[in-house]
Amino acid sequence: MIQTIRLNDVLRETTQRPLRDLVTRPTGAAIRGRIQETILATGFPTTRLDFSGVGFLDFSCADEIVAKLLRDSAADHYLVLWDLDETQAEAIDHVLERQDLAVVAVPRGGSPLLLGAASAELRLAFRAVLEGGPGDAGRLASRLAWSLERAADALQLLALRRLVVAAHGTFSPLPLR
Amino acid sequence: MHVVDVPSYLDDKGIDTLAQGLGGWPPATRLLFDARATKWASPFGFTALLTAGQALQELGAEPSRLAVPDSDDVRSYWAKAGFFRHAADLFELHGKVPRRAADESSDVLIPITPIRAADDVVTLVNGLGERVAELLSENLNLEARATPRFGMSLSEACQNVVEHAGTGGWVAVHAYNWRKRLGRRVVVIAVSDAGVGFRASLDAAEARKYGDRWSDAAALEAALIHNISRFRDPGRGQGLAMIKRYLGAWQGKISIRSGTARLAIVPAWDDDIPLAEGLAFFPGSQLQIVIPEQGAK
Repeated sequence: MIQTIRLNDVLRETTQRPLRDLVTRPTGAAIRGRIQETILATGFPTTRLDFSGVGFLDFSCADEIVAKLLRDSAADHYLVLWDLDETQAEAIDHVLERQDLAVVAVPRGGSPLLLGAASAELRLAFRAVLEGGPGDAGRLASRLAWSLERAADALQLLALRRLVVAAHGTFSPLPLR
Repeated sequence: MHVVDVPSYLDDKGIDTLAQGLGGWPPATRLLFDARATKWASPFGFTALLTAGQALQELGAEPSRLAVPDSDDVRSYWAKAGFFRHAADLFELHGKVPRRAADESSDVLIPITPIRAADDVVTLVNGLGERVAELLSENLNLEARATPRFGMSLSEACQNVVEHAGTGGWVAVHAYNWRKRLGRRVVVIAVSDAGVGFRASLDAAEARKYGDRWSDAAALEAALIHNISRFRDPGRGQGLAMIKRYLGAWQGKISIRSGTARLAIVPAWDDDIPLAEGLAFFPGSQLQIVIPEQGAK
């Protein structure tokens, strides 16, 4: 179950102005407040933040919206960033990296990836879950020729960071559509 | 009345001369800024001169006088840059002030604009549009994807005023041929405020760590080199960090003057000193970003 929130719509509704660029902390904080209200009201376990139609995203706004949503949201809520351009992804990656946070993102015209603080090993495990579909640690170990312990550690870490969904020993990619 | 000679070239170094001319801060008597012989002003010079007027006004001083440049061409450029329309609120202007309005042209990318609240930054950045992208490409040979990075840098630079100064400031962006230092075209972003300065802003968070070494220079080093913010939130202090990252890719330069010090991250093409201490006091903080033309067209 996934809901899509179009950031461009939230920006215009929040500011009551025909803006495209997500800049400044007060703007970001106001938008985060609207998103949190929607998440609470609808109860969907996954929220897709759609960046289509958004222009600039500065670091302050990236911090206020993405980093603080990740920090403040419930442990069983998942966030996916959708249709980001190169510089938006760059800003979010930088902001999250410094705070040891990570998020699943789908760049414009690209395939899903992790932005923020994620080791090469974690990114490899994420990619394997994404491409291989739901499975347990044994399946990941087999797919990547890792030890069972190494695969289990990576999956646990991905789940703790809400980058995959864990249920009864099975780890699944986040729903993207 | 104390006369302060405005230098012939009112740029980042010219402000040091202007600061010396103030004769201490706060000034003991009413000031007359004499710009009659001034030939040229950079965005840094324009915004810093307005900052001086604003700081004096906020001190409750009698309005300072400003004798405008004698040269018609210079006055015309100052009007085109949007200087006089703001100066009229801060100074008692003497001399012939052109009636022409501020202009957005190929060399004035953003006329002098007040920054008083976050909403001013939102309006500024959202107003950049396609025209600025074209001008960045024409002036600097920057590829299209550089425009968002320019906008983000501008946004973060201006937000420093709103977040830290405790009062308003000014921004201006010009393009010109920097023959003297570089022999290439540059785009210069200048942001100046009349606020508390970096040292006072970081005092509570950093002064104890530095002990006797705490100074304007140490505060600039904490902010610009170590990305320290007065806020404890781990998401803070990233704006200057990302500006530095972009400037590294563009071989750009950033310098900040606050109080009695100036700290710069100096690219290979410039021979500026990284740190200048013991300068004459100038109110608030002044930030300058220089982005040079990229390669050969």
